[in-house]
Amino acid sequence: MNSFAVQARVPTGRIRLVDVRRRALLIAQLRVLLIGAVFVALAAAALLRIAYLGLVQPAPSERSMADALLPSRGEITDRNGLPLARAFPAYALWFNPVAMDDGGPPLVRSPEEVAAELKAIFPDLDEFAVARQLASGKAGYLRRRVLPEDANRVYAIGELALELPRETDRHYPQGTMAAHVLGYVEDGVGHVGMEAALDDRLRDPLRRGEPAALSIDARVQGALEDELKRGMLSVNAVGAAGIVLDVDTGEVLALASLPEFDPNKMDAEGQKHVFNKVTNQVYELGSTFKPLTVAAAIDSGAVTDLSRRYPATPFHVAGFTIRDSHPLGASLNVPETLIHSSNIVTAHIVDDLGAARFKQVMGDLGMNERPYIELPARGFPIWASGDWPRLRAMTVGYGHGLAVTPLHLASAYATMVNGGIWRPATLMKIEPGQANRGRRVFKASTSARMNQLLRMIAVYGTGRNANAPGFRVGGKTGSAEKPGAGGYNRSSLVSTFAAVFPMDRPRYVIIAMLDEPKAVAASSFQRTAAWNAAPIVRRLVPRIGPLLGVLPDETRDIDLTDLKPLVGDGSGE
Amino acid sequence: MTPHSRIRRVGWFAALAICAMLYLTLHLKVHAVRSEVIRAERQIVALEQQKLLLETEFQTRSNQLQLEEWNRVDFGYTAPSAAQFLENERQLASFGSPRAPGAPEPIRIAGSSGHAPEYPRLVSPLTGNPVDEELLEPDGRTRLSGVRLADGTMRIPLGAVVGSASQ
Repeated sequence: MNSFAVQARVPTGRIRLVDVRRRALLIAQLRVLLIGAVFVALAAAALLRIAYLGLVQPAPSERSMADALLPSRGEITDRNGLPLARAFPAYALWFNPVAMDDGGPPLVRSPEEVAAELKAIFPDLDEFAVARQLASGKAGYLRRRVLPEDANRVYAIGELALELPRETDRHYPQGTMAAHVLGYVEDGVGHVGMEAALDDRLRDPLRRGEPAALSIDARVQGALEDELKRGMLSVNAVGAAGIVLDVDTGEVLALASLPEFDPNKMDAEGQKHVFNKVTNQVYELGSTFKPLTVAAAIDSGAVTDLSRRYPATPFHVAGFTIRDSHPLGASLNVPETLIHSSNIVTAHIVDDLGAARFKQVMGDLGMNERPYIELPARGFPIWASGDWPRLRAMTVGYGHGLAVTPLHLASAYATMVNGGIWRPATLMKIEPGQANRGRRVFKASTSARMNQLLRMIAVYGTGRNANAPGFRVGGKTGSAEKPGAGGYNRSSLVSTFAAVFPMDRPRYVIIAMLDEPKAVAASSFQRTAAWNAAPIVRRLVPRIGPLLGVLPDETRDIDLTDLKPLVGDGSGE
Repeated sequence: MTPHSRIRRVGWFAALAICAMLYLTLHLKVHAVRSEVIRAERQIVALEQQKLLLETEFQTRSNQLQLEEWNRVDFGYTAPSAAQFLENERQLASFGSPRAPGAPEPIRIAGSSGHAPEYPRLVSPLTGNPVDEELLEPDGRTRLSGVRLADGTMRIPLGAVVGSASQ
């Protein structure tokens, strides 16, 4: 009974047990299945991912090589392809105090220790200023330009807070050279020179891959700046300007304005020197205008006989007396006028020529408008409008009463010696045969005659100090008093030498100008151009001549035999 | 379905599978090559940038101002004078002077008259007689049989070199 009862109870319990076991088994199986399914799903996902990576995704994202190599701003080169300005990826040293991201101090070691380590890498670093900056916990540049090997050494310090971001930088490998031609870049925008003039082109993605070739020759530019600087320092001048111009194409081979600035490091000091003395500042350039006056007179037929003698005694006109710097005798002919630089005879020649005709020639030479050049800074000449009275024309004849830039003078001289064609000056390289047509101002015969006269000034006259042996230099000195408050200032001069070489086949015009030279021992205690500007040309021409394809030759010169009898032995009267 | 057709169907599947495998391999290969190309391009870009950097550094260190400084302080070079340039042969000849009467014959150093004298023969230091050719060239030695070409170059058959080397 009992057992039956038990027996009777057991089956139900067993059934329940079997039921439980079956269910447990089922659940277990289900779980295994589920886990298996998850694994299968994971494996499938992994396989799919592998398949996707291998088949669909085009490996690392593709980038065109040309895109990667396209500079962020176009390169500027000289005429021979030497880079003058280029964009290149540089490193900067940036202090990022939150780089550690742990709420602690930004540096592992003390700021002083880190500053000392940085000082070991960059010897010119201000250790205390850097330590102060590191201690202040303010983010900022520690240094704008870091060389790659120095960047590696900074990494080796092991401070996370010292970051070296790559920045695209504008770099001028030649330093201060040609600074006024190039200008500088600030926040991606070009200023002052060709950086401003070519800004659109340098930023255009289609054209910036190709370097912009300027007409500048870096070697000539270097020599011009060097000689100008030496000349400027030797006579204590406050500034200097110079230009080398190709007479046949109008290409500017060198253009310098001193004191210069450093486009790699623009600061307040640099900003003071940004003003371009060659294209923007107007000067009364004095006696350098006399050859232009004589050329205008010969061209119009006012002077047909060069041996004609003009009175050289003080000339009273309209209540004003025109004098020479020192008495030059009773009378002078035209070559002697240029050789001794007589204001009086030049005034007589202008009188014969006529003010209207003279004004027209000056206008044809571009003296009545801003100079033609790509630079944004171009000075407007002080040009008297309306009919010129007789006195005005006479003073302009010897370079007073008309203020122009040295570039105006260079273009006018190029016109006078190249056969009489005026061409606009340019800073862009011109392929051979592609020069501007220009306009005719003088006859070719006038130009040939002027070549002789300019050479005579350098052989017998005030330009003797510029006569570099073998280079057939011709040119004219000019020393003008600077206008100041209440008339001309006798002690401050602008001394200019306008030179052309070689005179037997003129190729280049050189203008060398000194602003307020002093009378010092180096210039034999003289202030005039013959003693300070002319020697600059004499030293410069032998340096640049062979580079420009003009070889010195003592056996060759322009024929002066027909004019030589007019000046006697060249020593004076 | 006959066993034959089943085999054929399996065969088709196998062919399809093999083609698919081959295609897959090719595809993977193409991708591998493409990523290699991209890596190479990146390397080129990196090297170009490095070149740019080095070039710029070189130009910065050798800028005109620096060269001028070296020239003035270290070397002291000056611009060449007119006497240092020669324009043509005539100018060069003008530096020479005609031979004075009674001066010795100029020594002629080199020239090509076209008729070279016969090459001197080796002379015995003891007898003073020309050395016998046979002494210099032992009997057994075979001469290299060269084939002279029209332009004067000589082609030597390989076998001859090997033969002479082995003796």
